[in-house]
Amino acid sequence: MPEVRRTIDAVWKLESARIVGGLARLVHDVGLAEELAQDALVAALEQWPTAGIPDNPGAWLTTVARRRAIDHLRRSSRTTEINTEIAYAEQPAQAQDDVLRLIFVCCHPALPRDARVALTLRLVAGLSAAEIARAFLQDEPQVVRRIAAAKQTLAEEGVGFAQPPGAALPGRLASVLEVLYLVFNEGYSATEGQDLIRADLCREALRLGRMLATLAPDEAEAHGLVALMELQASRSAARTGPSGELIPLHEQNRGRWDQLLIKRGFAAMLRARALGAPPGPYVVQAAIAVCHAQARTAADTDWARIATLYDALVRLLPTAVVRLNRAVAIGFARGPAAGLAEADALLTDPALRDYHLLPAVRGDLLSRLSRHEEARREFERAAVLTRNHAEREFLRRRAAESRRAAESRWAAESTPGAAPATLGTAAAAFLSRDDLDRATVRSYGQTLTRLRRALGDSLPVAELTPDRVATVFTTAWGSAAAKTWNRHRATVRSFAAWSSLPALAEALDRRPETAQPPPATPPELPESPAASLRERTLWRLLHESSAPVTAVLALNVEDLDLEDRRARSGDRWVTWRSGTARLLPELVAGRTSGPLFLTDRRPPPSGTADRCPHTGRARLSYERAEYLCKQATGRTLSSLRQRGNSRSRLSTR
Amino acid sequence: MRFLMIQKPADTQPDEKLFAEMGAFVEELTAAGVLLATGGLEPGGLLVSSHGDEITVTDGPFAEAKEAAAGFALIEVGTKEEAIELARRFRKIVGDGESTIQQVFG
Repeated sequence: MPEVRRTIDAVWKLESARIVGGLARLVHDVGLAEELAQDALVAALEQWPTAGIPDNPGAWLTTVARRRAIDHLRRSSRTTEINTEIAYAEQPAQAQDDVLRLIFVCCHPALPRDARVALTLRLVAGLSAAEIARAFLQDEPQVVRRIAAAKQTLAEEGVGFAQPPGAALPGRLASVLEVLYLVFNEGYSATEGQDLIRADLCREALRLGRMLATLAPDEAEAHGLVALMELQASRSAARTGPSGELIPLHEQNRGRWDQLLIKRGFAAMLRARALGAPPGPYVVQAAIAVCHAQARTAADTDWARIATLYDALVRLLPTAVVRLNRAVAIGFARGPAAGLAEADALLTDPALRDYHLLPAVRGDLLSRLSRHEEARREFERAAVLTRNHAEREFLRRRAAESRRAAESRWAAESTPGAAPATLGTAAAAFLSRDDLDRATVRSYGQTLTRLRRALGDSLPVAELTPDRVATVFTTAWGSAAAKTWNRHRATVRSFAAWSSLPALAEALDRRPETAQPPPATPPELPESPAASLRERTLWRLLHESSAPVTAVLALNVEDLDLEDRRARSGDRWVTWRSGTARLLPELVAGRTSGPLFLTDRRPPPSGTADRCPHTGRARLSYERAEYLCKQATGRTLSSLRQRGNSRSRLSTR
Repeated sequence: MRFLMIQKPADTQPDEKLFAEMGAFVEELTAAGVLLATGGLEPGGLLVSSHGDEITVTDGPFAEAKEAAAGFALIEVGTKEEAIELARRFRKIVGDGESTIQQVFG
């Protein structure tokens, strides 16, 4: 009965946050609360098609879920505790408080950012894993796994359901705001309109933001974020043209801006200001959006004020992207030359190395300075770097305009019409010589690709100066190993000789390559208190045993000799020291056989291989373990092993 | 998706209790982040009609009072069913009468 199904979905979207929040207060576990709520949803799916949709569907779901939660508590703890719990949970008018706590738990700093986003959309916004997967262009199983892992982490970290204490609140709120703005931007950058669910993310983020601002009315930044999102959303209809092409802010038809959302944005801004706190990054960004919204035409825009606001924002949020936006504002407020000077200062920032908006902004400033040939190259470079189709079309259009402007100038100055050799053609010709072997072509290719991306394919070879090459080198490989630097330098020397530009590498010093002595002490095991017991044990065991990762993951509980601190894995012994010995008993936790390291997910019903006889969970895979390790420590599992003394700790039979 | 919910005039006079409940309902919708705008409408109003070049403005009230609107709510939700669910709750508060739900395009 699809109609009942749709009604259930609708009720769930509207009620899930309150239902899950209320249950979490009862059972102190968000993951369990969601499972109980899902049980109630299943009951609804079974009963409503025949019994009819109840009078108050939300209350029906709440009652059924709560009954299940109380059953769960009765089974697992003492009666007196339960009665207190239930009495506490029955207190009225706590629903809003529950939702606020739920948001904070879903955005807990112990979780990776992706997990925070997925969990918030799942539990607070009531989206299904399939919807989240479609919106973020991911596989559904991937999202399901991420949510399960997040719940597991919360349980293992003992994240209950308490409000963050006062001192922790600003930091925790920042994490919540970051998640909401991420969701919003994910939807806002989906301009193609083919997949509406992506644009729906904007609506979800706005809904959650408005919810948050109502629940935490004293937080100026929450109102600031709402104002920012309302004002950005007000422009969404005007941002794209009839064939999906992107229209920049100053060319948009302001009559298509949504006045209702603009007014809502202004109102949110007034609420933020009324709180009187020093403005945070979202309030300042919203203030910039207000300036745009207030300008009746693009020419009316108060760029001086916007530039001042960007000065403030750079102090609060000194990121490369903010500095780039500031350069744009300065370009309008104080002229393109001033803006270009700001943008040029960012050319050596590694964070913007492949960021298409840096050449796009420079292109715009250069074209306003009538430096059309350079502008064209920047637009072309930006078009190569962007991944957004609509944006690429827009940048190509600007490049073509700059080309025409440059050509008309050439015609006026009657310069010779022969096309000069460019970096792109020269690099391609250099690499297609038939006296290079494949490894050399690949190595040379890496260097030249970097140069082409940074300087643009259309840069005339005549303008390829040693200084420009040196800037690219410093940005790309300034902090790389001497060997890497020298390899790329050798490519440039070879390319220089081939293209008769002998001086090309003269600003690049050869770096002394000292042979790396093997570390006297093994690398320290990274401290990661946020990692789960399983991860900490695995890492410590790898560190102490130096055994291959596969051998350690293959360990079974029955093979462990805790007394002698060793275990058989296949045909080798794995031994450990006190650190692992302290952790192991807790990890084994009464199990007598089966894989030592288990997945944190429940297994599918079928499949018999390699499971824990106690929990039915499967053995932890190398891929998953590696992923978690990289997420938490930035290192590979294998790098945790102490290689220097592996032989003494491993005996092969 | 935006939907305009229009409430038709009711036969009974609203009382204090209804106003309190309506206030709570509006607060709830605002807190849920789905209510964009809402308001009550004066009875009758003006009728502006055009015929060829001629524009006529007539004062209300009009005979077809049943067709008039007494109040509106502009909501933003993901599906039609969510709009229906909200309208259902609204009708439960205000008692006998009628509302319409129409999707807003553009």
